[in-house]
This record gives sequence, structure tokens and C-alpha cells, in this order.
Amino acid sequence: MSGVVELQSLPSRPPHLPATLELSGIAHSFGGFKVLSDVNFAVPQGQIVGLIGPNGSGKSTCFNIVSGFLSPKAGRVLLSGRDMAADSIQARTRQGLMRTFQTPKVFERMSVLENVMVGLHKDGRSGILASMLRTPSARRELDRLRNTAEGACRKFGLGKLLDAQTGRLPAGQRRVVELARAYVGAPRLLLLDEPSSGLNTEEIEQLRGWIAMLNSEGMTILLVSHDMGLMTIADTVHALYFGEIIASGPMTAIQADPRVREAYLGG
Amino acid sequence: MNKLRRSLLLLLLVLAWALAPLLLSRHLIDLFVFAGLFTIGGLGVGLLLGQCGIVNLAQALFYGIGAYSSAYVTVQLGLPSLTGFLAGMLASALIAIAVGWPVLRLTGFFLALATLALSLIGNVLFFEWDWLTGGTLGIGGIPKLSIFGFAFDTPERVYYLVWPIAILVLLLADNLVRGRPGLAMRAMRDAAPAAEVLGVDMHRLKTAMFVICAMLGSLAGSLFAHYVSYISVQSFTVERSIAFLLIPVVAGSASVWGIIAGALFVTFIPELLSGFGDIHQVLFGLALVLVVTLLPDGLIGGADRLAQLLKRRMA
Ligand SMILES: Nc1ncnc2c1ncn2[C@@H]1O[C@H](COP(=O)(O)OP(=O)(O)OP(=O)(O)O)[C@@H](O)[C@H]1O
Ligand SMILES: [Mg+2]
Repeated sequence: MSGVVELQSLPSRPPHLPATLELSGIAHSFGGFKVLSDVNFAVPQGQIVGLIGPNGSGKSTCFNIVSGFLSPKAGRVLLSGRDMAADSIQARTRQGLMRTFQTPKVFERMSVLENVMVGLHKDGRSGILASMLRTPSARRELDRLRNTAEGACRKFGLGKLLDAQTGRLPAGQRRVVELARAYVGAPRLLLLDEPSSGLNTEEIEQLRGWIAMLNSEGMTILLVSHDMGLMTIADTVHALYFGEIIASGPMTAIQADPRVREAYLGG
Repeated sequence: MNKLRRSLLLLLLVLAWALAPLLLSRHLIDLFVFAGLFTIGGLGVGLLLGQCGIVNLAQALFYGIGAYSSAYVTVQLGLPSLTGFLAGMLASALIAIAVGWPVLRLTGFFLALATLALSLIGNVLFFEWDWLTGGTLGIGGIPKLSIFGFAFDTPERVYYLVWPIAILVLLLADNLVRGRPGLAMRAMRDAAPAAEVLGVDMHRLKTAMFVICAMLGSLAGSLFAHYVSYISVQSFTVERSIAFLLIPVVAGSASVWGIIAGALFVTFIPELLSGFGDIHQVLFGLALVLVVTLLPDGLIGGADRLAQLLKRRMA
């Protein structure tokens, strides 16, 4: 019954191990079209690091490389000093990496609670046979997944929507579902790709609070956003332009940087 | 609906089911037996379609493997019938792994075409390997199913066997769908990249479900062989695969218990329409189009909506 023991140690407030992400010399191109050339930056443990850049500058491509959807043409991605080149998407997840998507990818025909329960899939053990037979341990495990997921939903203000079909929710709430789903699995490093897009000012304010909360619980965060106001939450911001980091520093300094101004104003 | 009414309704259904053979003609009992077989085989296709988002047009292959295994094992080897069931399910599982592992890397349309090809190839092999299958002549004289000395040698007896088996596999499937693997299946159906990021091993899960589907097809095929006593390639063509796929489509693909309604539909509607003579196939096609266009969530979704409508009227 190792499965039961596994889950009993499933933390409601997970202890986060130190995590540092490091991109070194990352280059990528799509069929000869160069998107990233020599990208270097690090995400120190416990920090919120921002990544900005105009449309098409390669931010999402960076995310895809880090999360394992793309393998870079050159360079290395290190998680806590370990090269992840050979790791599948799932293997990266097991090591504590989690990401969201620029266009939220929720499970539309599933309820909000079920969406968040899938966030705990990796912490479960019961397989096909045990589930078919509804063994006591499979049942207990499912109950525990449900309870933990429910807790996460409430934390993100989804308590009243547990049974709502996710595909019927407005864009803002889908983002919240995606965030809760990413959070519930207690990742060490969380990549958020434009979590603020499609949100109104009020929702962005709320999002800011949640990001701060996740960070205070120990999650290291890499944040991509076009919202410069939200970006001030980052400890450090890197500006990506035509596949290269052209400036790094606190948001206030980045905003003042002449090269960044030029890049954004299309000078 | 409250609990009491639900139990009452269930009780009535069970009673009607139990008493039906006393009132029905032999021909109708026959059809109900087939509907039971199609429930078992259609469930596998339904789990793939409704939960995993996989179109499987190869179920006739596994239906055939089950049927031929049972026929060969009992007629040629003279072994007990249970051996045939086991041999069929084992062979189906192995073939499903061998074929599914590479093929299930495909998605959507390409995967559907690959399974269609599989069904076609299967039919050709059933035809060619006549030492095993009897080719077009088929295999006759398959003994009636007998389990621990009890012979299922009348349609009524088979009726009382097939439906409990169907209910059992539906129960198991219902548990599965509500469990952790069920969540993972629907996750990969709705948004594959997100499921992958959350740690779902999609390829393994798809292959496992393909194996389960194949085993259910084989189980139905074995029951079929014993029931009809004579089988030939004509029973395991692509049309049969399509009919299996129609079962969850008509039912509303994500519904587990709705598979029964789908199986009844594909068994009884063609039968009802056959009275119209030559155009009955056209009429069946029309009936299908009507269900699929008018009831996007299938028969079960339609029934749900009707129930809600009635409730509102009454309130
Ligand atoms: N799969 C792909 N195949 C071909 N080109 C791609 C692919 N993905 C991205 N690109 C191109 O690579 C460039 C960088 O895209 P990417 O999505 O990384 O930019 P981004 O910084 O995230 O932009 P945005 O702010 O619009 O999200 C763009 O020109 C895009 O068209
Ligand atoms: Mg992007």
C-alpha cells in the first residue's frame, strides 16, 4: 500500500526545494528563421524573474524550450545545475517544473474541480486496474486528490465554481483555473506565459496578489507579460529583442533603458 | 431525481429485463442478445472515443480475433470454451500493444485512417489464413458455450449470460472513468499539451486503453461465435467496425451507460427499417443523420434535456 503512504505525505502547503533555472547559450530557429540567438539568463531560487519583449521576440519559444516542447538548436537548460536536455516533458514535471500557456489550455469539457485534480495526477499512484475495481486505496487516493484540489480552488476564489464546466467560463476565469491547476502540484519552478492577457485591471490586481502569494510560499517564478505594471512584481527583468537579451535589471531601470525604449517604440 | 425514485426505477428496469424473455418472441430475444454483444464491444470503442478522443475503426478486427479463437480452440483443438475466451483476449491484447504502440503516436484524422487500414488488413488476413479461419467458407459447428458443465444452449440462457457480463464491464468502465486514469484520459482529450505538462503519460495511457478496447471486442466476438455456431469473414468487415463506432456516436460519446442505448439503436433500428424493403439502408443512414444533427450529445444528451424540460413543465 505504498500508494497510500505516498499520498498521506501529499502536502497541503508543500515545502519547496531550492530551484534555479539557468539558460546558457540558447539558440533556436524555425526552418532557417532565427528566433533565439545566444540567450543567457538565470532564475535564482525564490525569486520572481520577468521576461519582456515585443511580439515575436521569442519569449514563448524560451518557455517551450525550458518545458521540453522544443529542443534548442544550441545551448543548455539547467534546473538546479542539472542539464535537462534528455528529459521528457513529464520528466521535467516530476523534477518540479510547471508552466501555463499563453492561450490558456484548460480541459474544457471537464469541471473546474476536475481540471485542478489533474494538476495532482503526478502525485497519484492508482492505475487502471485499481480504479476499475475501486480498491480502498484507489478510493482514498481519489478522495485526497479531490480534497486537495478543492482547497486549491477555494484559495483562488473558485469555490463556487467547482462543478462548472470549464469551457463555459469567461477567459479571465479560465486563466485562474489554469493557475490553480499549476499551483496545486506544488512546483518548484513555475513559468507563467502572459497570465495577465485577457484580464481586466481588477483581475490583474488579483493576479498580482496570487503571484506574490505563490512566491511567498517558496515557488520560483518566471513571468512573461506585456503588462508593465504587473512586471514591477519581478525582482529582475530581462528584455528580449530579436532573440537576444538586450537589458537586465529591475523593471524601473529596464523601462528607462534607451535600448529597450527603442525596441518597444520601434525606433 | 431523489434516491428512492432512482432505486425504484432501477428495480423496474431489472424486473422488465428479467421478465422480458418470457414475453418476447424468439427473434426479439435474439436481437437483445446481439445488443448485449454490441454493448460489450461498443464500450471499448466508446471509452476510446468519449474519454480519450480516439476514433477507432478497427474493432471488427478484435471482434474477429475473439470469434476465431473461440471457434478454433473448441472446434479444431477440442478444448473447453473458456480457453477460447482467454486465448482470444490474450491474442487481442498482444496485437493491440504491438500495433497500438507505434500507431497511437498519430492523432486525429491520421489515427482514424490507420485504424481503418487495420480493420481492412485484418479482414484480408481472416480471408487468406483459411487454415485458421476457414476463409469464406467459415467455421461451423462451434459448440454452444458451456461453463462448468452448464450449457448456454438457448437464446434465453445466453440472454441471461450476456447482459450480466455487459453490465459488469460497464460497471468496471464507469469506475475507471470516474477514477484517476479517467481524469487523465479526458485531460488529454481536451488539451493534450496541458495534460502532458501535468505529467500524464499519454502514449502509455492510450495504448492501455486500446488494449482494453481490443479485449472487450474479443470478449464480444467469442460470445458471438458460440451463440451463432457458425462464423465467416463476412461478420468481421469494415462495416462491422463502423457499426461499433456508431454505438458511442449515437449514444453521446462520453457516456458510459449510454452505450446500451447506442447498442440497442444499431441493433433494432435497422431491423425495424428492414420492413421498408430495399431502401432500409438509406433510411438507417437518415436515422443516423437525424440523431447526430438533432442531438449533438447523442441519445443520452437528448434524454437528459427532455427530462429537464419535463421537470420545468411540471414545476
Ligand atoms: N512552431 C513555430 N514554427 C514556426 N515559427 C514559429 C513557431 N513558433 C513561433 N514561431 C515564430 O517565432 C517567433 C517567436 O515567437 P514566440 O511565440 O516565441 O514570440 P513571443 O515573444 O512569445 O511573442 P508574443 O509576445 O506574441 O507572445 C515569431 O516570429 C513566431 O512567428
Ligand atoms: Mg508568446
